[in-house]
Amino acid sequence: MPSALGHLRILEIGDGVGAAYATKLLADLGADVVKVEPPGRGDRTRHRGPFPGGVPDPEKSGLFLYLNANKRGIVLDLHAARGQETLDRLAARADLLVHDVHTTAMAAHGLEWEKLSARHPRLVMTSIAPFGLTGPHASYRGPDVVMWNAGGVATLNGDPTHPELPPLKAFGDQSGFQAGLNAAIGSLGALFARLATGRGEHVEVSTQEALAAILELTFEFWPYCGLVASRLGAKPIQPLCFVECRDGWIFLCCVEEHQWKHFVEIMGSPEWAQMELFENRLARGANFDALHAFLQEWCREQSVQELYDAAQRRRVPFAPVSTMGDLLASPHLKARGFFATLEHPVAGKLTVPGAPYRMSATPWALRRPAPCLGQHTDEVLAEVGR
Amino acid sequence: MSRRPPLAGIRVADFTWVWAGPFCTLQLAHLGAEVIRVETATRPCVTRLLPPFADFEPGPNRSGYYNQYNQGKKSIALDLKRPEALDVAKRLCAASDVVVENFAAGVMDRMGLGWGVIRRLRPDAIMIALSGYGATGPDSDKVSYGPAQVPLSGMSSVTGYRDFPPMHVGISYGDPTGGLHGAVAVLAALLHRAQTGAGQYIDLSQWETSMAVLPEAITAWTMNGEALPRDGNRDPSMAPHGVFRAAGEDRWVAVAVEDDAAWERFATTIGRPELASDPRYATAAARKAREDELEELVTAWTSTRSPEDVTAQLQAAGVAAFTAATNKDLAEDPHLNERGYFVELPHPEVGTRKHAGVPWRMSASDCRVRAAAPLLGADTDRVLSEVCGYGAAEIARLREAGALV
Repeated sequence: MPSALGHLRILEIGDGVGAAYATKLLADLGADVVKVEPPGRGDRTRHRGPFPGGVPDPEKSGLFLYLNANKRGIVLDLHAARGQETLDRLAARADLLVHDVHTTAMAAHGLEWEKLSARHPRLVMTSIAPFGLTGPHASYRGPDVVMWNAGGVATLNGDPTHPELPPLKAFGDQSGFQAGLNAAIGSLGALFARLATGRGEHVEVSTQEALAAILELTFEFWPYCGLVASRLGAKPIQPLCFVECRDGWIFLCCVEEHQWKHFVEIMGSPEWAQMELFENRLARGANFDALHAFLQEWCREQSVQELYDAAQRRRVPFAPVSTMGDLLASPHLKARGFFATLEHPVAGKLTVPGAPYRMSATPWALRRPAPCLGQHTDEVLAEVGR
Repeated sequence: MSRRPPLAGIRVADFTWVWAGPFCTLQLAHLGAEVIRVETATRPCVTRLLPPFADFEPGPNRSGYYNQYNQGKKSIALDLKRPEALDVAKRLCAASDVVVENFAAGVMDRMGLGWGVIRRLRPDAIMIALSGYGATGPDSDKVSYGPAQVPLSGMSSVTGYRDFPPMHVGISYGDPTGGLHGAVAVLAALLHRAQTGAGQYIDLSQWETSMAVLPEAITAWTMNGEALPRDGNRDPSMAPHGVFRAAGEDRWVAVAVEDDAAWERFATTIGRPELASDPRYATAAARKAREDELEELVTAWTSTRSPEDVTAQLQAAGVAAFTAATNKDLAEDPHLNERGYFVELPHPEVGTRKHAGVPWRMSASDCRVRAAAPLLGADTDRVLSEVCGYGAAEIARLREAGALV
């Protein structure tokens, strides 16, 4: 089967989610990605889990196995001259080098952009850093909870009825995924530019900026209106809320008036729904406490699937609060073949998220499981005569 | 050497609206593609109708939401419900390298602009549909709004305060995540086309791209049958790790102690160096086991200081921390401003306002926000004549027929 990026050779010096996700996106479309890990501990995601039975094992981390499928893995000691020389040979034949290892560490390894580009003018290098490579905060450290706050996303999430609870981050290392997506876009842009110029370039991704770019309509409240957005502000329109059914949670979503009218019909047109308090979406927002109590009372007797189906039949965009079990059992996702199962020599079979998009001519494909630590060191070094 | 945009010469026919689709094409505009948004005043993009409006004065060209995510694009007014408009849309697609849409599945087909038509108009076209549920499968006809993707994807079931209901994440997270994945797919398809001359069709489901960023929750289930609990801002291994109260009204600061060495630096910075060797806290496992008391200890220190002071002291010592930044904090952030992240370009109706810019820099290529967002229909005549090849008389006839609104 043809692949979109089978002509590309990529090096990844990743230690976390960002660089690994950027190169996963490219590896899944056919690129030959060689992941470089330090001796001993390897990539930090090998130690993040989840692990089978909760027992840590660097070859069995669900996060690592997902992020690094379709790649080959080598171990190089970049502190040593020999490791640096080997990396230089690999860079000589690479189209792209992606890293999220701190630039001071990269410089200590002789991997500054200026040096690399002087020797390998066709190389594209993409650097991911929490706060970018320049500016007063360039040396700041930033794991996900710090970045989710530094990018302005956390202050948007909380419970308006519980101001004592802090701004809340989303599950997982979402700042790593967002940085990785931006890095993949910048890298592909640079590779496309190279078709015309014949030269590589340096792409620098700031995780903080990647997050400040996805604040929906909230960032502009300051420059447009002088208003500070807060997690404690009530939603202007309702219902856009979670309620508990007898067998799980559902998200009610009535943005347009006709959607609310349909929902009222589904509820059997109760008398309370005719009250002036709830006459339009703004009134329902202003009187949400009362609305929520009525909705919760009715929904508690319903089943999630029946209410979801009844709403969708009337084009009302409710959605279940899916559990992971719901996702794995979804007939729709099964019919689309979304989940993929990889077979790893140490970890065994593991089902992971599969193709995020269907490309008609160059399909997403799982070709090999994630590498064991150093699994391809001999193979890859032989290719470059080491 | 003059700087050249990476996607110089690439034209994108943009039939998207709301956030996911426009966010996909925004990335292509950053890279220098000519993105032409097809819009209509008879049913304007939802984001043109939502606040914030500049200085609280509503108007279809005055929304910060639209103006943020459509920077650097062109706009043509075309009422696709008019039969005359279909010919314009077809000519635009024939002249475009990429066609992007995010209507519900099947809508483009019914308008006569499905992939079967597009590929005949332009044999090397790349077309991408970013729908909520995807183009195939038993749920493909379901309707999806941005906010509903967060619960649907499973993210809400694992996001929230401990022992509280499932939560949102504060933004319609499925939209930017879908839009960015879409841009990756389009760029890969463009590289493939440059190698082979072949275009293709891309079916993107926002539901699926939202699950692509949840591997820990999904593999915890597929490996162990374990449904991970909602656990606030805590981390499975790092402690302390959270968002803590700082001095001031509703001010907060994120602090993450990444390992034992960082714990030692943290203890020294807060003036409690003895805690570094205290066996109750010396290892990550020990700290994790006493996380409640540890959080009280952190709060005792942070709550008497401004979040900026906490950040400066801890980061200087090599401990990860940052203010829970508001939109105002970001706009005034000295670091982001010094880096030139924000864009301030003149707009004919709202003047010069601060907007978020491109999150990556390119050392050789011309990558930037090239212009403020377009007024609705600002480029209609020029695009119809220069891109679609209509003469002035034909444009006048189309306008008279009501197609160009």
